[in-house]
Amino acid sequence: MKQVVCHKSELSNGQIMRTQLGPIPVVVVRTKAGSLYALAAKCLHQGGPLDQGRVYEHHATTKDVGEYVIDPGREVLKCPWHGYEYDIKTGCTVFDPSRAVQTFQAYEEEDQIVVQLATAGARQA
Amino acid sequence: MTQLSSDPVASRQAARHFNLIDTDVHERAELSALVPYLEPMWRKYITDFGWQPDRILPYTQYAAGGLDRLDARLPDGRPGGSDYELLRQQLLDEFDIDYAILTGWLDASGLHPGWPEFKTALMSAYNDWQIEHWLNRDERLLGSVHVNAHDPAGAAREIDRVGSHPKMVQAILYIKDKPFGDPYYHPIYEACVRNNLALGMHHSENAPTALGFHRYFVEWHTLVSQVFMSEVVSLVFNGVFDKYPELKVIMIEGGFTYVPHLMSRSDQQYKELRSEVPWVKRMPSDIIREHVRFASQPTEEMSLERFLQLVEWCDSDELFCFSTDYPHWDFDSPWEALPQGMPEDLKRKIFYENAKNTYAKMPALRAIGQ
Repeated sequence: MKQVVCHKSELSNGQIMRTQLGPIPVVVVRTKAGSLYALAAKCLHQGGPLDQGRVYEHHATTKDVGEYVIDPGREVLKCPWHGYEYDIKTGCTVFDPSRAVQTFQAYEEEDQIVVQLATAGARQA
Repeated sequence: MTQLSSDPVASRQAARHFNLIDTDVHERAELSALVPYLEPMWRKYITDFGWQPDRILPYTQYAAGGLDRLDARLPDGRPGGSDYELLRQQLLDEFDIDYAILTGWLDASGLHPGWPEFKTALMSAYNDWQIEHWLNRDERLLGSVHVNAHDPAGAAREIDRVGSHPKMVQAILYIKDKPFGDPYYHPIYEACVRNNLALGMHHSENAPTALGFHRYFVEWHTLVSQVFMSEVVSLVFNGVFDKYPELKVIMIEGGFTYVPHLMSRSDQQYKELRSEVPWVKRMPSDIIREHVRFASQPTEEMSLERFLQLVEWCDSDELFCFSTDYPHWDFDSPWEALPQGMPEDLKRKIFYENAKNTYAKMPALRAIGQ
């Protein structure tokens, strides 16, 4: 199953967009570097609409109290309700990699952004 | 709010065959909106001298929308709960709610006690604003009488002034750092009983933990239940319920998983130390079961089995009342917050019967597929 989301110019770097893949609401993420990812848009916690969340840089796990480090190249989608964070590449929650929303292939094809149902389901971090 | 078509709201509503009372919904005023409702002598302190409510919490929420659900904030930047139409759409209609009890934003009881005259006047303005802009607008909205607990006589006067409004179902005190069982506050409870109102106690951003304000927001928010435990203990051991046997109190925005420990610990201490508080005539857990209710939000993820054990440990299925805390960031969805598969009678109690039995002025509920 494959779905055209929009013209590639309609989704800028750092933005997200909602689409529908059959019965599944999907959020498409274009990273600050321009890569595309797609995740099921329903939070695993209480069903919050992830397509209305925000993408943030990931705070890397650090050694010492008071140490804050941004994980370069890793971005998370934060639920607009309680703030559960999902790795945009794997769909895994940051706090527990065994819990993940489904991910989908997302790519450009003939100037369109397309999402496609992946056969592997959610990928592990 | 986006409807997730893989789990359509319409089909969930059709499947539901019980009523729904939400015991914690926050409407929000801009200070400037209250000015016309203030007595003229007080207005200049907002319009000319820039009074703002004190907020001593030294952090901000690391939530996508700050204090609010991100999707509840207005496009023009106003906070969630500022706009009736959005609240109606995202809460009342979305979840087909019978009644939502407004719990407000600005409550002087959660502020510093200083300058009580101004704050008592401000609460009167807030209540009049609430009635005109919210209660008169939708039959599903019920109100809370906001008072300044630091001025108990003034608070009692305010309860007498607006407590008879047919849609006011409780007086509310935001918790800061005062144990409200102290006899100093009893005129407030007397006024509640006189006006057939329940008493709500609600968390505030000015409430510390038992050790003050820790380094991080996550610590503070983990420990929110501490002040609720303090207030229940204060009310019970200061004999509030022995003095006002008709009074019902509901603890709002503290969750409920702490309740079994609170009851058990209070009973044990009563057995050992009763002579210090001889005016308390029954086991604390019995008093709590009769007089105190707990709004459910914020919930914690748990299995149905664990949830049922928790209810059993309370030795009552009448203590918990569902609440969403809309529009705040830790909003609890009526569909998702509590474990699936709950027995039907327990579901009915938590989602509406317990609230109905707590609020003496709760209007009649619709017949809904029963």
